Amino acid sequence: MSERESLRVAGETGSIDVSGLPSTVFGHRALTWWGTLGYMAAEGTTLIVCAVAYLYLQRNFATWPPRGTPLPSLSAATIQVVLMTASIPVMIWTARASRRFDLGRIRLGMVLSSVFALAFCVLRWFELQSLHTRWDTNAYGSAVWAILFAHATLLVVQFFEGATLAAMLFLGPVEPKHFADVDDSCLYWYFMTGAWFVLYLLVFISPRVWG
Amino acid sequence: MSAPVTADPDLVPPAEREGVRELHRQLDRVWRDGPGLRGWLMSVDHKSLGKRYVITAFVFFLLGGLEAAMMRAQLSRPENGLIGPDLYNQLFTMHGTTMMFLFAVPVMSAMGLYLVPLMIGSRDVAFPRLNAYGYYVYLIGGLFLYVSFFLNVGPDAGWFAYTPLSGPAFGVGKRVDVWAQTITFTEIAGLISAVELITTIFKQRAPGMSLNRMPLFVWSILVMAFMILFAMPWVAVDSQFLAMDRLIGTHFFNQAEGGDALLWQHIFWFFGHPEVYIIFIPALGYVSTVIATFTRREIFGYPAMILSLVATGFLGFGLWVHHMFATNIPQMGESFFTAASAMIAIPTGVQFFCWIATIWGGRPRFATPFLFILGFFAVFIIGGLSGVMIASVPFDLQVHDTFFIVAHLHYVLLGGAVFPLFSAFYYWFPKFTGRVLSERLGRWNFALFFIGVNLTFFPMHLLGLHGMPRRIYTYLEGTGWGSLNLLASIGAVTIFVSVVIFLVNVARTLRNGELAGDDPWGSSSTLEWATTSPPPAYNFAHLPVVQGRYPLWSRPLDPPVVTGLRTDQRELLITTLLDAVPDHRHRTPDPTIWPLLAALATGVTFIALIFTPWAAVIGGVLVAGPLIAWGWGKPKPGDPVVTEGIK
Repeated sequence: MSERESLRVAGETGSIDVSGLPSTVFGHRALTWWGTLGYMAAEGTTLIVCAVAYLYLQRNFATWPPRGTPLPSLSAATIQVVLMTASIPVMIWTARASRRFDLGRIRLGMVLSSVFALAFCVLRWFELQSLHTRWDTNAYGSAVWAILFAHATLLVVQFFEGATLAAMLFLGPVEPKHFADVDDSCLYWYFMTGAWFVLYLLVFISPRVWG
Repeated sequence: MSAPVTADPDLVPPAEREGVRELHRQLDRVWRDGPGLRGWLMSVDHKSLGKRYVITAFVFFLLGGLEAAMMRAQLSRPENGLIGPDLYNQLFTMHGTTMMFLFAVPVMSAMGLYLVPLMIGSRDVAFPRLNAYGYYVYLIGGLFLYVSFFLNVGPDAGWFAYTPLSGPAFGVGKRVDVWAQTITFTEIAGLISAVELITTIFKQRAPGMSLNRMPLFVWSILVMAFMILFAMPWVAVDSQFLAMDRLIGTHFFNQAEGGDALLWQHIFWFFGHPEVYIIFIPALGYVSTVIATFTRREIFGYPAMILSLVATGFLGFGLWVHHMFATNIPQMGESFFTAASAMIAIPTGVQFFCWIATIWGGRPRFATPFLFILGFFAVFIIGGLSGVMIASVPFDLQVHDTFFIVAHLHYVLLGGAVFPLFSAFYYWFPKFTGRVLSERLGRWNFALFFIGVNLTFFPMHLLGLHGMPRRIYTYLEGTGWGSLNLLASIGAVTIFVSVVIFLVNVARTLRNGELAGDDPWGSSSTLEWATTSPPPAYNFAHLPVVQGRYPLWSRPLDPPVVTGLRTDQRELLITTLLDAVPDHRHRTPDPTIWPLLAALATGVTFIALIFTPWAAVIGGVLVAGPLIAWGWGKPKPGDPVVTEGIK
């Protein structure tokens, strides 16, 4: 019988001693995982609202993008998609290392994550240029800038969090909870990149298909 | 010597008493706030912050109430010259904004943040520092709104700030920006409290408190928190769209450049309607708790109650268009939302019948908390019925933007939230403070509040049917609306007196009220009553083990507890999501000043954003400092540290 099962059985009849339970766990067992999930839910909803605005405002225009505004260029955004796809195996590798308490590998993983996140932020600047419109040109411009900016906040947060965590891992002192933090950071990474794949289809591909 | 199982020194053999007392002393050293103002500002204790949250929200309730009283004074007779149109616009906007964003939602979250850890047998919420940050962000947002109001920059476009009135073309000056940024403050605080509550409820329940044994109050807070999580980002984004239209010239709501004023309404009400249920659902939790205690019976139909709460949570997201029946939405859409609006009465009805069934077979004790529940039944049902009336499009078009709507929403919100909240105040006040509120003053409080609410708001139904529009600062004598308005204003005075009696009751009780003991009601069923009143900093000397749905009613003489948590540092027991089986021990943070400093930096950033978009960049740097310091805490003695060699 596992320790958890024996504690469950003991609790139905009398007092229980939990001193033997671990203090560092990963994934859905940990509180911070749930906190990260909550943050993702709120941020995800924010992105959905931006997407809803984009789709709703589309109804007010005969063509989309509006006449006189070229289609958004694909190069920067596509490079972004490729780079994000390439980053995912690295983050999976980092997450696995964190669950094995492998300090050397998660240090490397978090440095790579910071470099990736910085590259995403730089690419976002070029993506904004590739929209060929400004936020104050018309409602189309407002909607696409809002989507890219809302998602950029995720990139900036991830860069900031990843770089801080990397610095903590090098400068120390390193506590076991930091391994779980790295694991959660990877979870957030999957959300951040996954969200961009959807938004890329919406902003850069859908006007080519239905515009 | 191993720690004795029971935590009450009087219940153990004399030889073990000193050991129990030492346990209490040790836990107190570890869990209590530091001394003085510094300790107070650094507190991360859910009870300390929860009380501040409740008191702050209640102060905003009083301010919102004073604004309502001023409006009622102005409307008490035709062509009154007491308040001009400009101040009147600010007053009704401030009243709505205060009551919805600074009182109703925060107070419900705050009650949860105080009570949930006690009710599920834990020692703190999941993220105590984030909890402190959320509170301070909320406080700064509220102060910002009121300082702006007193500087004559109070918002004046109504609490739902419809565009284009609130847009750059008509909403000149910074008044609407103040509104939009206040929303940002409160939404951040709301989202934080939601994540706190969901995680705490899912992962920190006492061993044995499986989901199907969880108190109905905790279920109601859980549903509320999920609704906040998926509703509040909508208004946060909407208000940012508005702020950007005003500051940097975006065109989200500018029809001339392809924007859409109705987009504002859709997004706002996709939040705004769930907001009503965010306020109402915790109140249902109060009702179930108080009814169980004062009838000494298990609530009839526990599974049906939970299913109804969850169903209400889902259906609450499908009604928003009924706020927009007067716009050009398609007829099919109107029909759908009429049906959905009527349908939500079903789960609410199920709960009402369950409560009636519970009371029916019991011998209710008509103490003040129970009286307020009876008041809730009467007032809320009237509000619910007028809701079914205005769910019908033809009727809604007749009374849209009239005082009939004002009457309806106040019956729903006062009946559905404020009556249960007063009940909750009377019920849990002994737990918060250790003293029981006066029953005699409580009855006066209830009676005058019940009379006042009906006197104020019932005539508004008739005024609305007679065609009196809402949000007008005066009316002509010939309209014939004078006498009903006077009646409503007399009702407002009655409510005012009732609330003053409540405040007197609180002040007198705090000074020399009757001492509460652990459980002054003698028939409570939930775990918060298993500890002292007020609870110690560590909530329970030993965390309880739960063996039934009503733990205090099925508790054996020597109740089982959890042992083995560390007593030399703050540690929580984390259990599994479904069955609450002990899973691991979690080191929880000590007091810290950084959440307060991070909140101040956030406040400066948001306020500066009203004037320049560059505040986002500068503010980002400003906020980063405290956040890094927050996360980069030094380990305390006894905390494990990983060194290079460990793999």
